[in-house]
Amino acid sequence: MPSLTIDQIPVEVPDGMTLLDAAHKAGIMVPTLCYLENVQAIGACRVCVVEVEGAKTLVASCVAPAANGMKVHTNSRRVREARRMVVEMLLSDHDGDCQTCDRSENCELQSLARELGIRQVTYAGDKSRKLVDSSTPALKRDSSKCVLCRRCVTVCNEVQGVGALQPQYRGFKTVVGPAFCSELKDVVCVQCGQCAAVCPVGAITEKEDIDEVWAALDDPKKHVVVQTAPAIRAALGECFGYPAGTLVTGKMVSALRRLGFDAVFDTNFTADLTIMEEGTELLMRLKRALVEKKPVALPMFTSCSPGWIKYLEHFYPEMLPNLSTCKSPQQMFGALAKTYYAQKIGRKAEEMVVVSVMPCTAKKFEARRPEMDGSGVRDVDVVLTTRELGRMIKQAGIDFNSLPDGKMDSPLGISSGAADIFANTGGVMEAALRTAYEIATGRPLPFENLHVKPIEGLDGVKEASFQITGALPAWSFLEGVTVSVAVAHGLSNARKVIERIKSGEGAYHFVEVMTCPGGCIGGGGQPRLTTNAVRKARIAAIYKEDEGKKLRKSHDNPEVQQIYRDFLGAPLGEKSHHLLHTEYTARTKV
Amino acid sequence: MKSVRSHILVCTGAGCVASGAMEIKSALEESLAQHGLAEEVRVIATGCLGPCATGPVAVVHPDGVFYQGIKPEDAGVIVSEHLLKGRVIERLVHKDAAKGRSVPALQDIGFFRKQVKLILRNCGVIDPLKIEEYIASDGYQALSKALTAMKPEEVIDMVKRSGLRGRGGAGFPTGLKWELTRKSAPSTSSGPGGATKFVLCNGDEGDPGAFMDRSILEGDPHSVIEGMAIAGYAIGSSQGYAYIRAEYPLAVERFGKALVQARDYGLLGKDILGTGFEFDVEIRMGSGAFVCGEETALMTSIEGKRGEPRPRPPFPAVKGLWGKPSLLNNVETYSNVPLILTKGPESYAAIGSVKSKGTKVFALAGKVNNTGLVEVPIGTPLGEIIYDIGGGIPGGKKFKAAQMGGPSGGCIPKEHLNVPVDYETLTELGAIMGSGGLIVMDEDSCMVDVARFFLDFVQDESCGKCVPCRVGTKRMLEIVNRICEGKGQEGDIEKLIDLGGKIKDTALCGLGQTAPNPVLSTIRHFRDEYVAHIRDKRCPAGVCPALVRAPCQNACPAAVDVPGFVSLIGEKRYSEALGLHRERNPFASVCARVCFHTCEDKCRRATLDDALSIRGLKRYLVEQEVTVQLPEIRDDEKNAQRKIAIVGAGPAGLSCAYFLARLGYRPKVFEAEQRPGGMLVQTIPAYRLPREELAREVRMIERLGVDIQTGMRLGKDFTLASLRKEGYEAVFLGVGAPRGTTLGVPGEELKGVTDAIGFLREYNIRGSAHVGRKVVVVGGGNAAVDAARTAIRLGAESATILYRRSRDEMPAYAEEIDEAEHEGVVLKVLAAPVAILGKNGNVAGVNYRAMVLGDFDRSGRRRPVEMSSIEFVEEADQVIVAIGQALDADSLRDGVELKLSRIKFVEINPVNGQTSVPWIFAGGDAANGPSSVAEAVGSGESAAVGIDEMLTGAKHAFWRAERDAGTAFDPEADPVQYPRAQMQLIPVARRRQNFSEVEQPFGPQDALREAKRCLRCDYREKVQTK
Repeated sequence: MPSLTIDQIPVEVPDGMTLLDAAHKAGIMVPTLCYLENVQAIGACRVCVVEVEGAKTLVASCVAPAANGMKVHTNSRRVREARRMVVEMLLSDHDGDCQTCDRSENCELQSLARELGIRQVTYAGDKSRKLVDSSTPALKRDSSKCVLCRRCVTVCNEVQGVGALQPQYRGFKTVVGPAFCSELKDVVCVQCGQCAAVCPVGAITEKEDIDEVWAALDDPKKHVVVQTAPAIRAALGECFGYPAGTLVTGKMVSALRRLGFDAVFDTNFTADLTIMEEGTELLMRLKRALVEKKPVALPMFTSCSPGWIKYLEHFYPEMLPNLSTCKSPQQMFGALAKTYYAQKIGRKAEEMVVVSVMPCTAKKFEARRPEMDGSGVRDVDVVLTTRELGRMIKQAGIDFNSLPDGKMDSPLGISSGAADIFANTGGVMEAALRTAYEIATGRPLPFENLHVKPIEGLDGVKEASFQITGALPAWSFLEGVTVSVAVAHGLSNARKVIERIKSGEGAYHFVEVMTCPGGCIGGGGQPRLTTNAVRKARIAAIYKEDEGKKLRKSHDNPEVQQIYRDFLGAPLGEKSHHLLHTEYTARTKV
Repeated sequence: MKSVRSHILVCTGAGCVASGAMEIKSALEESLAQHGLAEEVRVIATGCLGPCATGPVAVVHPDGVFYQGIKPEDAGVIVSEHLLKGRVIERLVHKDAAKGRSVPALQDIGFFRKQVKLILRNCGVIDPLKIEEYIASDGYQALSKALTAMKPEEVIDMVKRSGLRGRGGAGFPTGLKWELTRKSAPSTSSGPGGATKFVLCNGDEGDPGAFMDRSILEGDPHSVIEGMAIAGYAIGSSQGYAYIRAEYPLAVERFGKALVQARDYGLLGKDILGTGFEFDVEIRMGSGAFVCGEETALMTSIEGKRGEPRPRPPFPAVKGLWGKPSLLNNVETYSNVPLILTKGPESYAAIGSVKSKGTKVFALAGKVNNTGLVEVPIGTPLGEIIYDIGGGIPGGKKFKAAQMGGPSGGCIPKEHLNVPVDYETLTELGAIMGSGGLIVMDEDSCMVDVARFFLDFVQDESCGKCVPCRVGTKRMLEIVNRICEGKGQEGDIEKLIDLGGKIKDTALCGLGQTAPNPVLSTIRHFRDEYVAHIRDKRCPAGVCPALVRAPCQNACPAAVDVPGFVSLIGEKRYSEALGLHRERNPFASVCARVCFHTCEDKCRRATLDDALSIRGLKRYLVEQEVTVQLPEIRDDEKNAQRKIAIVGAGPAGLSCAYFLARLGYRPKVFEAEQRPGGMLVQTIPAYRLPREELAREVRMIERLGVDIQTGMRLGKDFTLASLRKEGYEAVFLGVGAPRGTTLGVPGEELKGVTDAIGFLREYNIRGSAHVGRKVVVVGGGNAAVDAARTAIRLGAESATILYRRSRDEMPAYAEEIDEAEHEGVVLKVLAAPVAILGKNGNVAGVNYRAMVLGDFDRSGRRRPVEMSSIEFVEEADQVIVAIGQALDADSLRDGVELKLSRIKFVEINPVNGQTSVPWIFAGGDAANGPSSVAEAVGSGESAAVGIDEMLTGAKHAFWRAERDAGTAFDPEADPVQYPRAQMQLIPVARRRQNFSEVEQPFGPQDALREAKRCLRCDYREKVQTK
């Protein structure tokens, strides 16, 4: 236990703790820029430098371990001037177009400049090249705003294991981008947007589609409906000053209605539907394997997360048969809104505009996949991220905080708690188990409050198994079978699971993968900055929403039951097959 | 074993291979076979011998004759003449430039004689591709000793006691590093090859011009392998990696072959020498990033990632390659290790300085006669490396600075030639040892440009990870660039210091922390050059293109448009040429005779053959003048009313008057003596400057409206205060430095002792001066030479110059010294007077002691030190002391408090000549100390512009505008092939007893041809831009 003084305050810290954390422990805030808790500590930006007595130069506190007897100064003239120089250097190389920048007032560089009291940039000079990449539907990158903090690089390489972004060139010419400065559309980028989620400035953002939504809303000939993903309600409040984990479902509904949407629906509805389809698909696969003894791809992978889909298409195309053929809830919704719902209100698919609000940038890509046209036209027209919806509400002059609570419209607005928990890691699996177990045994899932504890939480890879006893006659082949499931979030964790499966080390029946750490609540389109504390708060809110509902299981959703009765027939039926299921494409690894 | 009678060692270092060593080797073998000597003489391909610029080179043993610049066709001669007949091939041996004689034996050549080859012990001696030869030179004995007779701790202790420090740059104690790595707990998980610790060798030698590691890897690879294996044993590692830059294919190849041989001999691999110790080495090729020489970046690169540094701590000793404890040393460090074990640490430590032991290899490059690899004991004075081994500066140029430690090192100026080259001293001076780059720069190097070059390099090689290095060095470079482009601003130097200091304090790795060094160290030692660029928009060395129209013009203190008037001469447009000259310097005729011609020193034609004879052309030009044309004058009634006084009618004062008059002023010049001209008339003898020539140009100045009043002495007839009282608004002080300084030895009061200025003045002004029979002149400047030559002309039987340094250090113009000798003046150099002897109150002689040149003083010259206390006597009846001149400061003291400089001249702002008293300006020798005529003209002009600006608030110096002479030039044409024309001198016999002009002008043909030799550096392609 090293003991040291920081600004003359004695502190005792555990072995290996950095000076940055030690300073926090002593109640001293040290500014940082490239540092990102639990993700990156590389000492690149030098904003967090502190003075250690006896050291030749200043040291980066985010990487320097505390040592016994150290005398550290975080607020000496030398330190203050060095930090200012560093930030001034960044400003001198920055496209200072703050007024029109998406990140203004939410920009870490801007805050740093303000906090350090920088009033002018003494060292003006050349600026880095402006390379703008808006080749993908999801993301826009602008090198002239980049501070080269490498957060995106670390997230892309280490958290996601994708490796689409790397530093290119050297010295002042360094830019972050795909190898050989290709465009993102031409590389393995899965468009998850985790890079945009961690970017401290406006260098990587989602590609903004707000104007398209305004255009649709302004068009009297269009019937514009909106769906919101379960993760939105636990995060949108952050755009309006609410603490992370505040549920704002009612205000969100009211805001959407005020924006002028003709109907406000819930992606949760199709989440429930997904459980019906996917749960049935799983049972059918197990039947094929166990009863018919036919070759069948197991384990089955969930297919809700579009980044994950693209990842598998790039890196493990041989595993594509393992993916559930179910479309994601967003796409199921689009297909049904333009068929089932359109029929109900007597409109043609062409007259419908489906807008989704997603915590995700990859959803923008997913909506544009050519096969997503079950309704005969593009099923989902525009995808907004949570952040975009927040901005749109502000643009409309709506005082979000004083809105009354509204209620979703019917028939696509009713959902179960099982659909809510799609928002977080482990949620889809738990929702599926709640339904599948009950279908097979006729009894509810025998866990406290219907929660499958081992697959909750933020561990990267989670596993659970349980034995099925007392199966109903139709499912007797499951009697005594021990069902094994795995849950992974963050694509590097997904890779671990896949490698475990390929090596035979992991034998599972069903695997849930969420692209983003924490699941959709930590999506690339969520309000910044998503730390683990924020993830936990959002997850807690989601479980609260789940537990507060009477409906906790997808198959209990009366609207779901009705749509099967009125429109779809049975899960995996012909209509389902056409509207709710899809196929996948192998992609190159480069 | 068969014995042979002779060996020919052919250097096959990469340098010699590139210039044909392999062809020479086969030609030698072929020729030997033809002569039937194949059995008697063996040709051996060795590693680098060091003097790469003279390659290909070879040594013939047992005679030890060193041949250089060999061509394959020389092989036959070497065999037939040297090996068969024992005759040395004269044309292929080394020539001592200073002494002008051949030096055939390697051991006699200065370049080799002062070196101590320990690290390079085998380079150039053994065949690097034969492990047997390495073993035969005690190779692998150290490894065997370590493995069989020592504990790892004992090995480490031995390395510690040897005092070896890391040769890669920072000089960290090697033994301590080994100990730390040994003590570090081995990683629990095993890395590639099952290793838990690694031994890494840094062979990513990236400093431009440095190639010591390459030479060792190529010439003695086993010494590195042995060092690494010993290190592996000491720290407990079984796996080594040698990171060698891919640009060194020959090093990679030879090191790779050496590894195979070592494995074959059981010196690498499992169970080495039957001791159970396992160790092997793999090569990793670096991919060309300078930063990969930084230890953490190197490890990142070996791991297969982008070569970028990572923060320390954790240090490699704790967490290195793949997170495991790693020992990283450079090539040279490892090759020291076997030596320490075989010689013993104490005897190793006997070489070197107190804190730095052993030897260091330097890559000597730049403006030095002998370039190449040199190895010297650490602590050897820098001057010895440059002068004794490097053979000094080529072309008689002056040493300016040594750039040490590669791009992130610093410059050591001439003041510190004496410093011992060791880690601490260099760091104190703002340089570093680095890996041993040593680039010598002479007076033609612009230090701002040098800083720009190195900063550009590091800036470009920055990995881009941390902000201070990525952006900070770029900003520094932008500032330095704009300074070089003449766009520097006041405050730029301070900005560079501030930014540089902060970058050093905050950057992530060693590269960034040292990147500002080239700038900071040049600012520290050459701040005046930065000031000249920023404030005066001048590049004193004549390098920065934006500030230098042509190097000759740039070198002229009066900024005369040299290419302009030279090319006009070439077109026979003489009056235009003279007019152009007098735009900046009225004394065309004077300068045609006495100018020190700094322009010629910078002439680029010298790189082709010889400098243009600019003064000769000027002399021809002024001969063509029939009547003096007046220059452009801009009349100005207001200016004509203003009262400006000029004190002193020397070249400075008269130039100031000339330029003021051209702006419409009517300055009044006060001259103490009866004739205007100052030193031109008082001390420069008429045989160098006929009086009428001077008088003509003085009359021209008078005709512009300048009133010269002679016989008016400052401090006697008037004072500065009285001038002010009389209503003079501005005063220019051009009073010169007329006082001789004294020797400070006994006997100076004796009759017959005089100072040179007094002696010359007496003759020149009064027309006669007393001269002795045996005259001794003490000093080495122009006044000394003038006095001696005047004494000869006045009838002295002998004139002897005593000078305490050597001839090379004499400040007098070389051509004047030559002529003095021709005229019979005896030069006794390295002779320091200690007393003047007297007889009956009269001078009888001078006692002097013989001197030798010792270490270097702050002027960069070798200090004369007494050889012994034996005194010699030089008989004399007259002693003329010419050792310096001083300002007559007393005459200035009359209530006006003028600030004087440290060396007691009037302190001025060099841009406008203003003194500490705003209305008083000064120039010439009074302000600059004894200096040249052109210098005086230039300072007079600056002061004229300064005075005008003070009075009017604006600059009106219309003559400063660059003008195109309108002469033809074909940039595509090859330079004309004529050699430099020589001015004829009248025969020595006709010079004695008279003062007629010695130099005779060119004839028209010579002159026109000479003018065409000009390369027209002023020519700029007019680029069409839309």
